[in-house]
Formats: sequence, structure tokens, C-alpha cells
Amino acid sequence: MIELVNLTKKYKQNNAVKNLNMFIEKGEMVGLLGPNGAGKSTAISMLSSLIEPSEGDVLFQGKSILKRPEALRKITGIVPQEIALYEDLTAQENMEFFGRLYQLRGKQLQGKITEVLELTGLIERRKEVVKTFSGGMKRRLNIGVAMLHNPEFLIMDEPTVGIDPQSRSYILETVKRLNKERNMTVLYTSHYMEEVEFLCDRIYILDKGSLIASGTTNEIKQILSAEKTIQLEVEQVKSELLTLLKEDPSVNRLSVHEKTITLILPKEVDVFAKLTHYAEQTNTNLKSITTEVPTLEDVFLHLTGRGLRD
Amino acid sequence: MNGILFGKLKLFFRTPWTFLLMTGLTIGFVLVMGTGDISKLSVPIYAENEKLQDSVIGKTLMESEAFSFEWVDHEKIYKKVENGRAEFAIILKENEFQIVEGMESFYTLIANQLLIEAYEEKWKQEQLLAQVHSSVQADFKKSLNDKEAFAPFSISYEQFKGENTWIYNDQLHKIFGMTLFFVIYTIAYSVVQILVEKQAGIWDRIILSPVKKSEMYTANLLYSFFLGYVQVVLIFMLFRYGFQVDFHGKLVEILVLLIPYVFTIVALSLLVLSFVKTVQQFNAIMPFIAIGMAMIGGAYWPLEVVESKGMLFLANIMPIKYGMDMLNGITIYGDTFIEIMKPVSILLLMGVLLMGIGMHLMEKRHV
Repeated sequence: MIELVNLTKKYKQNNAVKNLNMFIEKGEMVGLLGPNGAGKSTAISMLSSLIEPSEGDVLFQGKSILKRPEALRKITGIVPQEIALYEDLTAQENMEFFGRLYQLRGKQLQGKITEVLELTGLIERRKEVVKTFSGGMKRRLNIGVAMLHNPEFLIMDEPTVGIDPQSRSYILETVKRLNKERNMTVLYTSHYMEEVEFLCDRIYILDKGSLIASGTTNEIKQILSAEKTIQLEVEQVKSELLTLLKEDPSVNRLSVHEKTITLILPKEVDVFAKLTHYAEQTNTNLKSITTEVPTLEDVFLHLTGRGLRD
Repeated sequence: MNGILFGKLKLFFRTPWTFLLMTGLTIGFVLVMGTGDISKLSVPIYAENEKLQDSVIGKTLMESEAFSFEWVDHEKIYKKVENGRAEFAIILKENEFQIVEGMESFYTLIANQLLIEAYEEKWKQEQLLAQVHSSVQADFKKSLNDKEAFAPFSISYEQFKGENTWIYNDQLHKIFGMTLFFVIYTIAYSVVQILVEKQAGIWDRIILSPVKKSEMYTANLLYSFFLGYVQVVLIFMLFRYGFQVDFHGKLVEILVLLIPYVFTIVALSLLVLSFVKTVQQFNAIMPFIAIGMAMIGGAYWPLEVVESKGMLFLANIMPIKYGMDMLNGITIYGDTFIEIMKPVSILLLMGVLLMGIGMHLMEKRHV
């Protein structure tokens, strides 16, 4: 349905996106993963014809959209990372504004608005001004606006940033339902691995503008088939402990998130004794040591040496 | 395009504060600065005999076009001159007058001449009265006072306007200047919404809709134009019908002539917007541009009092100068259609150029 061919975007000397090749089939849910600044939003902007690529092409049903983007635009709904709404208007008025842009009028417009507000769980709040909404409600309305013209292809650029777990789960369930019930094609970008794991059939992982891995969730996890993940929860992360861990030849990758140290090691290595010894040596209070099945987060760590949220 | 305009109007009615503030500031500034005539020099005056105030002397002085005489008591006369709040003051006595001078001034000569004429008129009347029998003196005096009403004929005169003639009407200047100045803010703060919408991702959403980019710009700029124009129309209507300001019967012409000015300011705002990357930058730059333009372009004071050739040269690239020229021309100078077309054409040309460059840069520099 949609294909990105050697897509590149240069800003002066910097390559925001380098030779990106991707495809999305009808009805698929595809994840685009990467940390902040990986080039996800730039890739999306080129894919949705908002910015022109420096090199490469975007094909929709085999035809380039660079000169004639209308066909793709017609079937595309975009959920930007920002809350792209008029905060001084009510939910209903925002819907009316964007609906009119798609030539929806009268009963057809009102019917569609009611349907979308019900879908996003905002029907009761339709007459309230958006600036009084919580972050989660704004995000839901942001998605709702993109749904007004019945798009076949929905692009969601980090739609759950900065919201509470309840709203996040509501959004993820809604997206999944849209895909199942309406066979909607979804491109979902995030730096939350678990969201992409939950939603997507296939995943593309971007880092520093380049594609570093792609495939189904299981295929990508296979990258770590020879390795395991160990998480150390400590009372305080001490630099002496980190130095010892980094110097240990059996530790392939290491990352720190708050008070948790994640290690990737070869499957056959038994490090428990070693880890307790290191903790004693550096006077570190170990709260727990857990071995985990590799997640996409671990894959990213393995591929780049950095955590997704670093 | 209609959808965007409709939405914008809805937003305006929800948050009309900038518009109301700028309209209020225009009216407030004109009123606070006084709609009185500061082109006249204010002169404190004291009469030893209060009857002199109502006499032919008092009346002659009050009719002066050069001075605005202010009756004060004896002590204030000296205080005002000593404090420098008055260049000179006048003390009227029965048969003579005294000028209290604080500094050497050309105006004292004019005042001296005026006072001599006033006293001569008083003496003439007294001489005439002396020749009339005492029984009819009261009626005769009354008839002298009413001489204008019973004048056998009257002479009216008009001045011919030469190329360098400068006529200054302070009241109109303040209304024109403040209106043209404050509307810059109203327009600029509505044009900046384009950048706000771009940063919020709303612009991208509209681009992906069937609305064409040209329609997006047209709707946004039309809205800004509409807002600015409604503001200036409201202000002029208020001063004409609320405060009874005399626009020399040219209110309709003024409202028509404001169209090219408002258009040019919309274009200028778009150009400034194309140079900045954030709303904060725009908000920081715009007041400098507006104030600089008003100072150099003659909105605060008439350009005729500016002597610097550099400033006068710079004034030629300020839209506000042509706005003032148009409004002064149509009202005070009674310019013809052909004469008015010069500033109108310059404004339209400026507007088209600024808008063209602004739009080009917007598309090139902004995502």
C-alpha cells in the first residue's frame, strides 16, 4: 500500500533521516520505534507529504506522492505529537472546525462528531472548552479529530506522551479496536517499547536517522536469542559499581534507569555470585536481582548501547 | 476557506481581549493626551479688575488663534513663570498691561501686539461711549457688544494652500496617529496565530485536508485584515458620533482610505513572522517595529517638526507615514482624488511586495 524508498532528509550538514526503506500493507499495524531525535517525526512528515524528502521517494499504491500527494492525503488521518487543537474552543467546536475542512456539513457532520466523541469517550464533555481538559482527554480528542473523515490510514506520532496510565491504556485499546473493526492501517511511533509490542504486527527501529532493525516483534526479539537480561535494583547507583560492571568481560551492554541497572549478558554466563561480590565490594545495597525475557527495550540496548529513553 | 474563517471568528468571540485592549488603548490615549488644542501656546493671565475678563479685552484675547489664555490668580502668575511652566504671563490693568517674562521669547512680541490691539479696541469703545448721552449709554454699549450680530455684512476668507503649507490639527493628528499605531498590534497578534498553529501542529492538519495552501493563507490574512479594519472603523465612528469630532465631513472617505493601510500592516506582520522562529521572538520584535514606525513615520508628532534629514528619509519607508498623509490629506488639506492616490499607491505597492516576500519566506523557512 505505502512504500518508502531510500528516503533521506538533510538539514544543512545533518541527516535527519538516512536511506530509510519501509513498507506498510493495508490493515497492518506498524510500529516505528526510536529514542527522541531518532528521526521518527521527520520520517512521518515525509511519508504524509508534509515535507519534501532530500532524496528518495514515497509510493502510494505504486505511484509517487511527491508531486501529487492528494490521493494519499485523502485517506490519511494524522495524530501529531502536539495537541493540535484550539484550546479556547469546546470539543464539539473543534470537531466542527476540522470536520468542515473535510467538506462535512449539517447532519452528516453532527453524526460523525457524535460517533467520534463516543469512540474517544468524550461525549459527555463535548460542550466543555478544551483548555479545561486533562492531558489524557486532550490526547483522546487529538485522536478523534484525525478520525473525522474516516481515514483508511492513521499515522500516530507518539500519541501517549505525558498522560496518565488509564488514558494511555484507553488510547491503546481504542487504536487496537480501530484496526480490528475497521481494518484501519496504523503507523504508530513511540519510544515506549511496550506500547509497540502490544499494538504492532511489525516494527521498524530507527536510531540517529537510520534503520537499525526491522521485522515482526518475535523476529526482532530473536536478535537477543543468545543473550539474557538481568536487572539489578539497588538502593543507590554508585559509580564504583558501574565501573566494575563495565569492566566485566561477560557484560555485553549496560544501561541505568533511575535505580535499576540493566545488563545484557551471554545466556550461559552465571553472574549471580559475581554481582553480589561487586555489591559487597562497593558497599551497595542490592534490593533485587531478576533475570528477564528480552524485551524490545533490551533489543534497542543491544543494538545501540543506549536505552530508548536515554 | 470559509470553514477556517468561521472557526477564526468563533475563536475571536471566545477571546476578544487583544482586540478590546488595543481599541481601548487607542481611545484612552487620545482622551488622556487631550483632544484640546496644544498647537496654541498656553499663557497664564491675571486681571486686576475682574470686569476686564468680560470686557472687549478679555473677548479679544480669547479669540486668539496663537494663544490659549488661562485665567489664574495673582500669585500663580509669578509661580508659573518662575517654575518654567509658562514662557511668560500677562497682568491686565485698567489702562495698561504687564508682560512677566521668564525667558526671551518670540511669542511675547506677538502677545504684545495682540494686547495693544485689545486695549485700542477698548479705548475706541470708551471714546464712543463718552460722546453718547448718558441716558442711552447702556443701550449703546449693548449694541456695541452685539455689533457682530447686527453687522451689515461679514467677510469670510479662506487660505490658499501652497506646496509647503503646513496646517496642523492636533486633535485629528492624535486620533489618526494613535489609531494607526495601535491597530498594528491587533493585526500583528492575529497574524502570529499562523505561527502558533504551525507549532501546535494545527497547520499540518489543515494541509492534509482538502483545503489548499493558498486558501489557508487567504483565510488567515483576511481574518487579520478584518479584525484590524473593524477596530479602526469602530474607533473613527466612536470619535465622530460619540465625541463629536469633526472629520471635515470626510468620515466615509477616511474609512475607505484605511483599507490600503490595514492591508499593508497585515503584509508587514507576515513579513516579520517569516523572519522569526518562535512566537516569543515575534512578540519581542513587534513592539520595536511598531513604536519605531510610529516615531519615525509621524504618528506621535508631525513630521514637519522633524529636522533630521536622515529621519525624514527613513520616514519614506514607513507605511504609517503614508497612512497619516492620506488621512491628513483628505481631512485637513482637502486633497483631491489624484493627490490622495499617491500615498494609496505607495501603500498598496508596499503591501503587495511585503506580502509576496513574507509568504515566500514563510514557505521556505518554516516547516
